[in-house]
Amino acid sequence: MGVTGEFLKGLWKENPIFRLVLGMCPALAVTTAAINGIAMGLATTFVLLCSNLVVSLVRKIIPARVRLPSFIVIIATFVTIVDLVMAGFFFRLHKTLGLFIPLIVVNCVILGRAEAFASKNPIFSALADGLGMGIGFTLSLGVLGAIREVLGNGTLFSIPIMGASFLPFLVMVLPPGAFIALGFLLAAMNRIAQKS
Amino acid sequence: MKDILRLMVVLTATCFVAALTLSQVYQLTKEPIAYQKRLEVLRAIRAVLPNIDNEPDKDTVALQFEKTSTGESREVIFFRGRSRGELTGVAFVVTSPEGYGGRIEMMLGVDPQGTILGVEILGHLETPGLGSKIGGTAFRQQFVGRDLKNTQWAVRKDGGDIDQITGATISPRAVVKAIKMGLDIYQENRQKISGG
Repeated sequence: MGVTGEFLKGLWKENPIFRLVLGMCPALAVTTAAINGIAMGLATTFVLLCSNLVVSLVRKIIPARVRLPSFIVIIATFVTIVDLVMAGFFFRLHKTLGLFIPLIVVNCVILGRAEAFASKNPIFSALADGLGMGIGFTLSLGVLGAIREVLGNGTLFSIPIMGASFLPFLVMVLPPGAFIALGFLLAAMNRIAQKS
Repeated sequence: MKDILRLMVVLTATCFVAALTLSQVYQLTKEPIAYQKRLEVLRAIRAVLPNIDNEPDKDTVALQFEKTSTGESREVIFFRGRSRGELTGVAFVVTSPEGYGGRIEMMLGVDPQGTILGVEILGHLETPGLGSKIGGTAFRQQFVGRDLKNTQWAVRKDGGDIDQITGATISPRAVVKAIKMGLDIYQENRQKISGG
């Protein structure tokens, strides 16, 4: 598979949320609104891109026996950078996503890509893989967030779109709504995948 | 033996580079973060204290209070708002541990006599769409103009003067109790807060 292929697979064929079903904790917890999902996705993409790059760079230096602790230190470093930069420059967003930013460290998509892909592949493939997976993750979280926001709150990106007579489905912005929306999306994705 | 040494060197080097990077990022973001936090506090103070022209976060009184139930002491910072040098209001943070989802933190603004000028919810974990309405203007606005004498400090359901929220009793109850406690604290320490 070429560099383009490594990039494209994250968007659909190996989409972390809908095909691999990885990283469910942030996917379910923060997607109460479209903007939260996208912001979380972008933060994760940044970490994924950086960790894939560094892991690929040092893949020949790090002995196999200490690779996991080393990867975690690398990932945690980038997560802390994201956390500090967001607190300094995107304060409102940082407040909304709060606890879930530090938790990117334990998002299994990131360690999964470092371990399964970046530690075995050259830099450009690793970058393409990280970018593709990250964008796939961001789009999935954005879609999930948009559906929940529209149904649960009647707005999209905080703009009312459902008209005044619309009675919001409150449950969609509550935790069960995350599972309901994800379930329907997974079913739809499987259906499309089966047909093609 | 040689092998273990190699593992140690690699792990130490990884952590060293990570720590070095993070200390740099921390230095770079320290000031923006402090600035954002200050803006956040100032924004909340300005929301509950109209007509001030000073910088209330630089004109403060800190008082220690014994928490009777736990025995530990707690510090409350009173921000003094002035117009042309004259004290027009005092803002301080009150917290309720009795919210439906956890702590509710509020900024309470009172005039020098102890009448409420404004209430701003700083943080809460109440149910979206139900308890979260404590953050809405309709709920918060009803506190303006109230003081210890002219109001029965309880929600209507409990025989008081404060409108509750349909479907959520616990959150308004917690808010009312915390505000009442804040007013009591202010009355007891009025001299110390306005003087000195």
